[in-house]
Amino acid sequence: MKTVKTAAAALAAIILSFLICSCAGKGGEARKCTVSITCETILDNMDKLSDEKKELVPEDGVILAETEAVFYEGESVFDLLLRVCKEKNIHMEFENTPVYNSAYIEGINNLYEFDCGSLSGWMYSVNGDFPNYGCSNYSLKEGDAVKWVYTCDLGADVGAGMSEQGRDK
Amino acid sequence: MRNKDAFSSCHPLVNFLFFGLTIGFSSFVMHPVSLLISLICAAVYNIYLNGRRGAYLSVFFMLPVLLLTALVNPAFNHRGQTVITYLPGGNPLTLESVIYGVAAGVLLACVICWFACFNAVMTSDKFLYLFGRILPSLSLLISMTLRFIPRFRVQLRQVKDARSFIDGGRKGLFGKIRRAATVVSVMITWALENGIHTADSMKGRGYGLPHRTSFSVYRFERRDAFALLWLLCCGAYLIAGALRGGFYFGYYPRVSSFSPDPYFISVQAVYLALCATPLTLDHSEDLKWKKLRSAL
Repeated sequence: MKTVKTAAAALAAIILSFLICSCAGKGGEARKCTVSITCETILDNMDKLSDEKKELVPEDGVILAETEAVFYEGESVFDLLLRVCKEKNIHMEFENTPVYNSAYIEGINNLYEFDCGSLSGWMYSVNGDFPNYGCSNYSLKEGDAVKWVYTCDLGADVGAGMSEQGRDK
Repeated sequence: MRNKDAFSSCHPLVNFLFFGLTIGFSSFVMHPVSLLISLICAAVYNIYLNGRRGAYLSVFFMLPVLLLTALVNPAFNHRGQTVITYLPGGNPLTLESVIYGVAAGVLLACVICWFACFNAVMTSDKFLYLFGRILPSLSLLISMTLRFIPRFRVQLRQVKDARSFIDGGRKGLFGKIRRAATVVSVMITWALENGIHTADSMKGRGYGLPHRTSFSVYRFERRDAFALLWLLCCGAYLIAGALRGGFYFGYYPRVSSFSPDPYFISVQAVYLALCATPLTLDHSEDLKWKKLRSAL
């Protein structure tokens, strides 16, 4: 009886590894990274949000908690976001901007740019840094920690340095 | 000119105020109940006024407009919580954007239908009577423009018929194009000359001069005073209702539900009463006429 069980387990393991390998062979090599989508800054600015949008904001501001995601070599932060949102059934709208050769994320989970004041919108950081270019131009590397955050103050409230240049003092 | 119905026989001010209110509200109010009220009233009144032509407009012009907006909106607008599927570009196709597209289509259809009624009721002499004093050149221009297309059509048919006798012999594609070009050139000359003639003759009659009086067949009767008061009351209540958010309906991010509270019902009922004003007037006049005839 025991030999049958181990044989079955071994067979299952072989099939599984075969499946994984064949999947990885499709487009580039499969790599892993983490991704999260949060809008904690809105919690401090709820008064700026219109009434029908208030129910969209989760209580802790986390739309997608930090999760591990698979990407294929050569893919950008945008490709990752598109796939993750489709998988998790999160609404997301983007617009392709040819000038910057990148997609611009207009809204995630129906929370759009300018919904929470005129300085609000979506930004992304990788490993804690906010790249100063579009999300389609950032090629992911193994183990990258991608964070999509909603800012209500041109990035100053989420720790992005560029806000100092963007605002007139 | 013969009046088309009882409402048309009212004072031009009443007619104009009615269309100002209905077209104004129809072009801004997006609440589904109000849209339905407006659409039904406009379509029924249009058929009452224009008969088969009105029904034709309703079906063959308004339906395509409705379908087009219902298709176009989701292609460009991706807001909404209920994702049906993903478009080839990667953006989501949402149920809310489809519903909003249909609502916008109904709104457009309403406005077109009300304007069809407006054209039948507000004849150019009524328009000139109302605005000839305040804005002489503008009102003449508007009434000339409104009359231009039907007159152009009639003239076009005449010119075509006349030309068919002269150069009916020309055959083939190029012959056809040449014939059409002649007709177009004749029509443009006619339109320009006609415009100058009209302007000259209006000037020759002293149109727009300060102390000139003009004859009009319109009298402000007691019925018109009642109708005016009724329209003003309805309009004031509806504007107050709109300011208080009685017409508000959210389509994004989720289609909002509405509870039938008394205030909401009262606003919609007044809107229905306003939109149906000419229909009720016509109906009561028809009944009166029938009664009088049977009494004979």
